[in-house]
Formats: sequence, structure tokens, C-alpha cells
Amino acid sequence: MKCTRCRATAAVALPSHNAGFCPDCFQVFFSRQVQKAIKEKDLFQPEDKILIALSGGKDSLSLARELKLLGYDTAGLYIDLAIPDSSVKAGEHVGRFCRELGINLHVLDLQKEGLPIPEVQKKLRRPVCSVCGQIKRYYFNRFALDNGYSVLATGHNLDDEVARLFSNVMRWDTAYLGDQGPALPAQEGFVRKVKPLYRLSEFETANYSFLAGIDYCYAPCPYSRGASFTFYKSLLDELEHQQPGRKINFYEGFLNRARRAFARQEDLEGLKPEPCPVCGYPTTGEVCGVCRLREIMGAKG
Amino acid sequence: MQILIEPDNKMVHIERSGNVINLLKKLELRPNQAIVIRENELLTPDRMLDEEDKIVVRKIASRG
Ligand code: SF4
Ligand SMILES: [Zn+2]
Ligand SMILES: [Zn+2]
Repeated sequence: MKCTRCRATAAVALPSHNAGFCPDCFQVFFSRQVQKAIKEKDLFQPEDKILIALSGGKDSLSLARELKLLGYDTAGLYIDLAIPDSSVKAGEHVGRFCRELGINLHVLDLQKEGLPIPEVQKKLRRPVCSVCGQIKRYYFNRFALDNGYSVLATGHNLDDEVARLFSNVMRWDTAYLGDQGPALPAQEGFVRKVKPLYRLSEFETANYSFLAGIDYCYAPCPYSRGASFTFYKSLLDELEHQQPGRKINFYEGFLNRARRAFARQEDLEGLKPEPCPVCGYPTTGEVCGVCRLREIMGAKG
Repeated sequence: MQILIEPDNKMVHIERSGNVINLLKKLELRPNQAIVIRENELLTPDRMLDEEDKIVVRKIASRG
């Protein structure tokens, strides 16, 4: 197979784009997809201060590299979950990566917040991943607002987004359908959230990280029961294999033609968040989930 | 042919796979579920493989 742009030997075949690319042209392709997402969905402006949620995995590191190369004002936040082995390893990958690229890195230690994930896991009966996800979302948002960032960017890719959309549709979860998308506007207590990789598949990010020489972490978390939405993802992979381009069309079609209807319904019927009486960050309950958890864990301050 | 499967870090032997797409089929993977590397070069599904090749198949599904 030859590169669609320069006729050299292709390194990456992309049936969904009816194209193949050599290493150099693939990186151009990748960068253009990110720029297209930023421009078409108005994700952020050159003057924005962007905080990138870094996990050490290929998606978040690829995102950080690309935004840095595009010249945006970025910094990273790594949340140390205090999970033996995996948190240390992931933290080392993130640290090395940021040093090499000259990206300013912040680290937030959940041990210091009184919420080390292994302790949380022991104390609660709920599946730890849903609590862990809630804690991470809370601190990423809060850190961004407390430190003057105007945008929080995450490494969610097309496969993550399509699997989530598919799962929301299967449950007709109108609240989630109303605000799923690559950009969530800032609201009282919420920083603007964006997903600049939403047009790129996990396969494309994997190729990008390899070609860019990104030394990412794939030490699995001991609590992980495999990737989220594993079953939906394999169904959708099969669909994409039979009908290349399905994933992006399904997702873009939702954004352009369906999302608004769900958002309108949520405006009418949904719960409006109020400031948490303890921390001041928005919640639809009384005291917010993270403050309740800190109380259960006996955390101070 | 020697294949290193990542991230499992498992070695497998596959005989006469021909090209990359066939190799992936034998490993029960779709072309969009793994990247295939030979001597630091990425291979597209149509590339032919040799018995002496050392191949890395890196599965891409992320964890957690
Ligand atoms: S697998 Fe679960 S517990 Fe581990 S980091 Fe991910 S969400 Fe947290
Ligand atoms: Zn080329
Ligand atoms: Zn609170």
C-alpha cells in the first residue's frame, strides 16, 4: 500500500478515510484532525489556558504532545491515586514525558486529600471504578478552576465517545444524551471541558504514539476489569470493520442532528446543580459526593 | 515466525501466515485492534511477512 499523499510505502491504513499514510504524512493527518475538531467545534482559542488531564496512557499523552506542538498554552495535571505499583509507574511515565516536552506538570496526591483509592475500595461497597471516576472528575474540575485555567482537556477518543453514546442510547439516558459531546461549556462551578481527540480512533492514537515515540504506560490498574464498555467496543469494532466510517458518522450525526433535542428536554426536566454546602462546588444532592466520601474516610479539612 | 504480543508480553509461534491481515486473523484480531511492528516499522495489513521476521503485535484496547 502506498501513502495517499506522497506515494511512499504506507505505515498506517485507514479504511474509514479511504486512505493510507507514511509515518510523516500520518502525523500531518493526525494533527489536521485535531485542528479540525478545535476549529469546527470551537473547542478553545489561542488565548485560553488549557489544563490537560494526564493519566500516563497513550491518549492523554498524544493529546498533550499535539496541543504543545500546535503552540497552545498548556499544562498537565496528574492525579496520583495512590494505588501500589500502577500509580507510581504511571506517574513516572507522565513525569518523563512532560520533562522531555517542556510541559508544566502539576501532581495532585489523593493520599494527601485523604482519599487513597485502595482505602476507598476497602471502605465502600460500590464498585471502586465509579467512585474513582467521580473523584477524578471532581478534582480535575476543581483544580482547573482554583488555578485559573479556562479549559480542561481530556484524551477521550472516537471509540470512547461512540461506545458511551451507544450505551446512552441503549438506556435512552436523556440526561447524558443531552450533554454528551466534544465541548461542554463552562457553567457556575464547572470549567469548560473539551475532547480534542474525538475525531480520532483508538487505533489512530496508538499509531500516533508509536510514530511519535511516546513512552506511555500500559501497566493496568489492579482494579480494572478490562476496558470500560468492552463489549460495546467490540460490537462497534465489528460494525466499523464491515462498514468503514460508521463510527464517526454515527457520532457526528448525533452531534449535528439529535443532541439538541435531548438538551432541550433536560433544560425543562433536569435537576439544576446547587453549590455543595461544604466545598462550594456544584452538586445535585445535598452535600456533594466527594465531600460525603471524605467524611466517611475521616479526611480532615 | 516469532510473535511478541503486547501488552501481555507473551511469545507465540505462528507458521506460514503470509501477510499481516492473515497473521491478525490467526490471532483473532481485526486490523483496527492492533498495530503490527517489524524492526521499528509499522506494517499495513497487505504487507508480506517472512518466516525469519521478528514481529510485535501491540493490542490497542486501553484499560480502566
Ligand atoms: S481502573 Fe477503576 S480504580 Fe483503576 S484507575 Fe481506572 S477507574 Fe480508577
Ligand atoms: Zn506520505
Ligand atoms: Zn463538596
